[in-house]
Amino acid sequence: MVVWLPHWPLTAAGIGPDEPAVVVQANRVVAASPAARHRQVTVGLRRREAQARCPEIAVLQHDPSRDARYFEPVVQALDRFTPRIEILEPGWCSFPTRGPSRYFGGDEALAVKVLQVLDAALAGPELSVAGRVGVADGPFTAEVAARDTVTRSRVVAPGASAGFLAPLPVTVLDHRGQRLVDRESLVDLLWRLGLRTLGDVAEVPASDLAARFGPDGLVAHSLASGLDDQPPDTRPPPPRWAVEAELDPPAERVEAATFWAKALADELHERLAAEGLAASRVLIEAQTEHGESMARSWRHEGALRAGDLAARVRWQLDGWLHSVARPTAPITLLRLVPEEVVAHHGRQLGFWGGETQATHRAARALARLQGLVGTEGVAVPELRGGRGPADQAGRVPVAAVDVTAEPRPVEAPERVEAPWPGRVPPPSPALVHPAPLPVELTGADQQAVEVTGRGELTAEPVRMRSGTAGRPALDRPALDQQVTAWSGPWPCDELWWDPAAHRRRARLQVVLDDGVAHLLTREGGRWFLEATYD
Amino acid sequence: MSALPVASLTRGPQVLLAPTEPLAGERLLPVHDALVPLLPQGGLRRGSTIAVTGRGAVTSLALALVAQASSAGSWTAVVGLPGLGLVAAHELGVSLDRCALVDHPPPGTWGQVVGALIGAVDVVLWSPPPRLPRSETRRVAARMRERGTVLVQVSGASTGPSPDVTLTVTDVTWQGIERGHGRLAARRVSLERSGRGAAARLLRVDLWLPGPDGRPAAVEPEATVHRFPAALPA
Repeated sequence: MVVWLPHWPLTAAGIGPDEPAVVVQANRVVAASPAARHRQVTVGLRRREAQARCPEIAVLQHDPSRDARYFEPVVQALDRFTPRIEILEPGWCSFPTRGPSRYFGGDEALAVKVLQVLDAALAGPELSVAGRVGVADGPFTAEVAARDTVTRSRVVAPGASAGFLAPLPVTVLDHRGQRLVDRESLVDLLWRLGLRTLGDVAEVPASDLAARFGPDGLVAHSLASGLDDQPPDTRPPPPRWAVEAELDPPAERVEAATFWAKALADELHERLAAEGLAASRVLIEAQTEHGESMARSWRHEGALRAGDLAARVRWQLDGWLHSVARPTAPITLLRLVPEEVVAHHGRQLGFWGGETQATHRAARALARLQGLVGTEGVAVPELRGGRGPADQAGRVPVAAVDVTAEPRPVEAPERVEAPWPGRVPPPSPALVHPAPLPVELTGADQQAVEVTGRGELTAEPVRMRSGTAGRPALDRPALDQQVTAWSGPWPCDELWWDPAAHRRRARLQVVLDDGVAHLLTREGGRWFLEATYD
Repeated sequence: MSALPVASLTRGPQVLLAPTEPLAGERLLPVHDALVPLLPQGGLRRGSTIAVTGRGAVTSLALALVAQASSAGSWTAVVGLPGLGLVAAHELGVSLDRCALVDHPPPGTWGQVVGALIGAVDVVLWSPPPRLPRSETRRVAARMRERGTVLVQVSGASTGPSPDVTLTVTDVTWQGIERGHGRLAARRVSLERSGRGAAARLLRVDLWLPGPDGRPAAVEPEATVHRFPAALPA
């Protein structure tokens, strides 16, 4: 049985089905509410396009840990049916029905009960969504059944999967056939070859599909025939493959536990890779100082990579710590047990791989660091082009870029190369103060030095002193010094066409009597110490 | 009588020595030619700590030290320097494609952050926090020596591992800028080197940082002449 909560990311964010809203990731819509879908906003659209089709739409950022946090109580409610629940991703879970449906009197009766429990669990203050269930021989058919039903529950009788799937369009393969390497082009090509329904695909001999499409063709054939792409292997992997870590000191915060989880996931991954395997289902167990424990299975249609696994540990712990049955003590033990393994196709590193290896090593360390300081805390520099030292380069969170790509693609390369009139020529200051310090610049007659509308100084600057009685920090100069040399000003008038973003500034290089040079900015009638040539 | 393997007999006894010690070239990360005289081994020795202190050119000097290694393929991590001028780093030759920034490590995690980076990157550039438990400092120092990561410490906080080499900027003079004309073009930096072991001998060096072409350059001997007025007592 597969349980599906439609547009879960929106529900988890507290959006009702009647509000037009989308969840975006990397500027693409990944989930849309029913109200948004009525306005022709579909998954896969660019954010701007979605806003154009529905101007009042609410745009939310993708947050898997929020999704998982709110999903956990739902799974806990379903725990009463069976302990063998597998989570595919927040919003989707499945479990084998053989035991429970015999106990509850058949698949239909079980489906009704599950829906009742779901509705009770979701009747909370801000969650409102109608869950759906599908029951069939295999997970793929059950998923299609859950997705395509209009009656909230659909039970495909044993052995009837092929008949149920036959009239459906071939595009359903696109939904979640994640084991297909290149499903988009496969589905597109099947359609253009005239195989419009899954029944058509199933009628073609499997060997012909394999000859034309390779492994993808075989997978598509068995899915379309109602067989599962991979019959579950009932032999459990040997227990020695499990990895565990005792957390000392015990982890009170999810971040600290995630740090361990990353190391564990790496270890598990290496151990399995040595056998030529990868995990497709992993049991994540956590125990606290008081002996409370929690275990969940996570399944992935492909294979779980170390990073995916660490993210799932984080989601699970997040959900646990925010649920009703939250633990009363810090976490002392984490265990990852591979429950189902598949052959791993591996990844070939570059032959002349010294540098690549260094980069992958660094990338792994940066991923681990994110567990420690948060995703926003680890950044990589990016040149952007601009006039001021703070505009010309920026910091991008590591999570948003592929650090192994070299050279790393720049968002707008033409901006970096473009001429920037008014830019202060290099060398650039090595210290850019995150918060510019207000300063006073005075001439020989103690009068403040200003910049005229034509971009000229009103007097020769003689002294510079800090405008506020702030403490002189290590990276701040002495607060009252003679100006021995200066150059400029470099006036710049930026974004004059946009009243909200318009900035009019002038920059001045000054050298003080201790020999240190600074970059001053004048904006809004005041001077600021923007950067130091340290 | 136990027979020695044939290979060891033909190639001589030195084959029996474990070749785990890396070659001299691999123990050093390269630095720019102008900076070679500052370092006792002529490069950044893996596992060593270099402190850069003083006033007026500290950040640039730290960037210049790591630039050559960075452009030769090493990764650099910058910890606790939210004000680092990224454009200046780029101009001095640091590869921004192989650079990571942790601007504000949460208090109490400094040791863990640097510990996670050691071994994964070749150079860590950091400004140590004012308070760091001695046990963490020792752990960082031990891991660095074991994994061969170079630590470059910026500015004066005394909490990091004790440096093998300390470079102090004693004086800076800008050239090319006058009262109201010209612009900042080149900077002459006077440095003092002190330290332990081979670096214990006090050394004074003058450098262009940056030189007129934007890169560090050695100060030619004749250029030092006009530092002193001609009317110096004989």
